[in-house]
Amino acid sequence: MIVLERAAYRYAGAGSWALPPTSLALRSGEVVGVRGANESGKTTLCLVASGLAPAAIGGELRGRVLVDGRPTVDMAPHELAQRSGVLFDNPAVQLTGLHRRVYEEVAFGPRNLGLPAAEVHRRTGEALGLLGLEHLAGRDPGRLSGGESQLVALAGLLALRPGHLVLDEPTSRLDAERSALVEEAVARVAASGAAVLIAEHDEALLARLCGRVVSL
Amino acid sequence: MAWGGWLAAVVVAVTAAAAVRAGRLRRLALAGLALVPVAVSSLVVNTLLPAGGRGFTTAVGALVVLLGATLPPTLLFATTPAADLLDDLEARGLGRRAVFVLGAALAAVPRAQARAADVIEAQRARGLDTEGSWRRRACGVLPLVAPLVIGSLAEVEDRTLALEARAFGAPGRRTVLRRLPDSRGQRLARWALAGLLGLGLVARVAALAMGR
Repeated sequence: MIVLERAAYRYAGAGSWALPPTSLALRSGEVVGVRGANESGKTTLCLVASGLAPAAIGGELRGRVLVDGRPTVDMAPHELAQRSGVLFDNPAVQLTGLHRRVYEEVAFGPRNLGLPAAEVHRRTGEALGLLGLEHLAGRDPGRLSGGESQLVALAGLLALRPGHLVLDEPTSRLDAERSALVEEAVARVAASGAAVLIAEHDEALLARLCGRVVSL
Repeated sequence: MAWGGWLAAVVVAVTAAAAVRAGRLRRLALAGLALVPVAVSSLVVNTLLPAGGRGFTTAVGALVVLLGATLPPTLLFATTPAADLLDDLEARGLGRRAVFVLGAALAAVPRAQARAADVIEAQRARGLDTEGSWRRRACGVLPLVAPLVIGSLAEVEDRTLALEARAFGAPGRRTVLRRLPDSRGQRLARWALAGLLGLGLVARVAALAMGR
């Protein structure tokens, strides 16, 4: 469960609040959409809900953000990554730039957890298969198209198997066929008990996928 | 030539032999050619200038030492993909942060080149003249440098976020997915080189202690 209690956030060095006081609760298994104009704070909401703001990027958080009952400010970034995984709107930010094959890029998260090698391979294979990316496994992540990068970034996130998902415009660079793959993956993750927050411009996708949609 | 010069000559010879075996002699020769300006200036300073000149032998000795210092790493990176090097270092126990720093450093140059190409294209699209006379080119440098530097700084923050979102800071050892083959001959060669390095250091310190 992800809960925001009048959570407001201001980036480090900024004078104004990028996210005004916001209250929101996502139950386990629930998919909640977020709509809003550009600069309305959708990306900031994603960073706050995942806990990376302020844990990884600093800034000031007012109010409380709880993931499974624990305040995000009390958790280390690596713990947050496993509890509330976030997909950034720009896949270039999500990819590490350290690996020469997509397979290694997707396996990066599970490897960081120190899981047994067989489990890393299993999770990586499943994440690639879920999004239909097996054919990209041997490709250089730095030479993918925007859509492919977005899917690889999502695969890397899914391979971590976070308890909940926060997705910032997950289909912005995808065609209809690949968007359907993402929808299917999100529905499957939610069915397993994860709360999913999706910030998205695509109203049709929000209508198909989300139990409810909030506006910023 | 001092004994250090002879030792460097041996290193150069062994490196050249290894390059021939690996089929990378051309790459090594190109790296050696990059030292031509240094070699010429060393020769001029040591043989033609009246003050401070130590002669032809000293100039050659300095060049051989320089080759001995630069050619082995050149051959290493010409024959070993950076990813293999990092994987192997990690499999041998190097910490994840050290591996990341090393990997980021190795990837920094190609990444900066790619970003520079993007910036040049973007500025050209906005009408910046990056060709023609040297004056025009010089005037075009500043609009390229600023986005390049700022972009590099922004990338540091992006990279930090990417790592944190992927549990990079988790405690304990990372999983090693592949171990590179390491033959008995390679292990022996490494120990022999380490022994030679130790002997060289001892000899150097002893020479310094004796005031030579």
